[in-house]
Amino acid sequence: MAAEHIIKSYDDELSRLNNMIVEMGGLAESQLAAAIEAVAKRDSELAARVVEGDAKVDELERELDNLAIRLLALRQPMARDLREIFAALKIGSDLERICDYAANVAKRSIALAQTPPIQPVHALPRMGALALRLVKDVIDAFIERDADKALDVWRRDEELDEMYSSLFREFLTYMMEDPRNIGACTHLLFMAKNIERIGDHATNIAENLYYLVHGKALTEARPKGDKSSLEVVAADRSGAR
Amino acid sequence: MSASLATTTPPRSDTPTLPGESATVSPFPVKVQIRNVGFHYGKFQALKNVSLPLYDRHVTAFIGPSGCGKSTLLRILNRIYELYPNQTASGEVLVDGIDILAPGLDLNLVRSKIGMVFQKPTPFPMSIHDNIAFGIKLYERLPKSELDDRVEQALRRAALWDEVKDKLRQSGLGLSGGQQQRLCIARAIAVEPEILLLDEPASALDPISTQRIEELIAELKSDYCIAIVTHNMQQAARSSDYTAFMYLGELVEFDETERIFTHPREKRTEDYITGRFG
Repeated sequence: MAAEHIIKSYDDELSRLNNMIVEMGGLAESQLAAAIEAVAKRDSELAARVVEGDAKVDELERELDNLAIRLLALRQPMARDLREIFAALKIGSDLERICDYAANVAKRSIALAQTPPIQPVHALPRMGALALRLVKDVIDAFIERDADKALDVWRRDEELDEMYSSLFREFLTYMMEDPRNIGACTHLLFMAKNIERIGDHATNIAENLYYLVHGKALTEARPKGDKSSLEVVAADRSGAR
Repeated sequence: MSASLATTTPPRSDTPTLPGESATVSPFPVKVQIRNVGFHYGKFQALKNVSLPLYDRHVTAFIGPSGCGKSTLLRILNRIYELYPNQTASGEVLVDGIDILAPGLDLNLVRSKIGMVFQKPTPFPMSIHDNIAFGIKLYERLPKSELDDRVEQALRRAALWDEVKDKLRQSGLGLSGGQQQRLCIARAIAVEPEILLLDEPASALDPISTQRIEELIAELKSDYCIAIVTHNMQQAARSSDYTAFMYLGELVEFDETERIFTHPREKRTEDYITGRFG
């Protein structure tokens, strides 16, 4: 790790900033894991706890923003210090969104648990687990300031996007087969979309971490596996293409 | 333009409403209460009705453009202006409740309680040891070993001991700029003051030495009430707890440093710190 600042309180404040991100990251992981479990087990009490838990993350993000502003105003950060503070601001925002999406998934699972279980639900926790691994890995990458690990997460989002595309088709099929499934499948669609967005935010974090370490942006075109926006469903046919 | 802060618009949130009065917001004691202080160089009025507190164990920075009166104010705090003719102060400066501007006070005692360090390092043309011992000997009669201990303590406190312990008999003038300045700080704290006044202490120093002085100030503040005048706003932002912005002899705004540099109340303050002045 680099040498310490001559002014020790500066190091302390940068540490605090780092620790806030790590704490938010931990919350993002646990919130998402709990939301997935709530879906899989139809556990509405767990889901409600996830929804309540979101307020803590919002509070943390506000504290983080305040500390970052304070550092920018009072320390005149340069070079890597400046990138650290800038990255912390952006990553904090991404983590807050990830937690929002996890809470949204949990919230919908409560409604879902009140309808009879349907087959496609099983696909969602699988997709959730994939997203959770992306979030865990990108937070580890942040803790270690490892840009290569970040790059790896950045590329793996494609798999999540592809899973979303296939779930999209699967849910549509189910809805077309039996209109009684529309309610549940619509919830599932939104939940799947939320999880896909979590993956996107994990890649944002990866990009910011890359910038933090290398001082320049990741300019490769990110592989995008979500083809759902191009899906055309004909009205008089059922089944996938 | 208000002559005193008591007439400004109410503050935005929970900041002190009347900085001239004792703090209702800060839990820390007020070491120095500056009240309605004015100052004249002959006919020219350099300070107009300045009131603010200096909190114990905290650093208060004075910023403002050249000629705003910040150095003048500092020189009132230990009455060093009285060395010069035609300079007069009015108002009160209460140190632990006692007005040090009142006539009949023992000036040397005032100046031993309140130490000062100037912009240009001013080591005496003596050995490093004698630079420190000189001030102590003015006020106290000590056996040699105790005197030597006090010299060592002061040099340690000023983060200079390790660099000079093997050359205490060498001239203070042989030290580098940053070291000379720390020598002056050691000299000031050797007489065990309660208040330290620093007038642009680092403006003659390179960036690394400056940061060392700032780190020293951060350490020292746990034992003293410190006031620092600086034309370098960034230094004020980095190293102080409270900041006073002065302009044309008036105190425009006084608040916690973080507040001053993130959302000051006065437009003139905001214009100055964002470089929109003039």
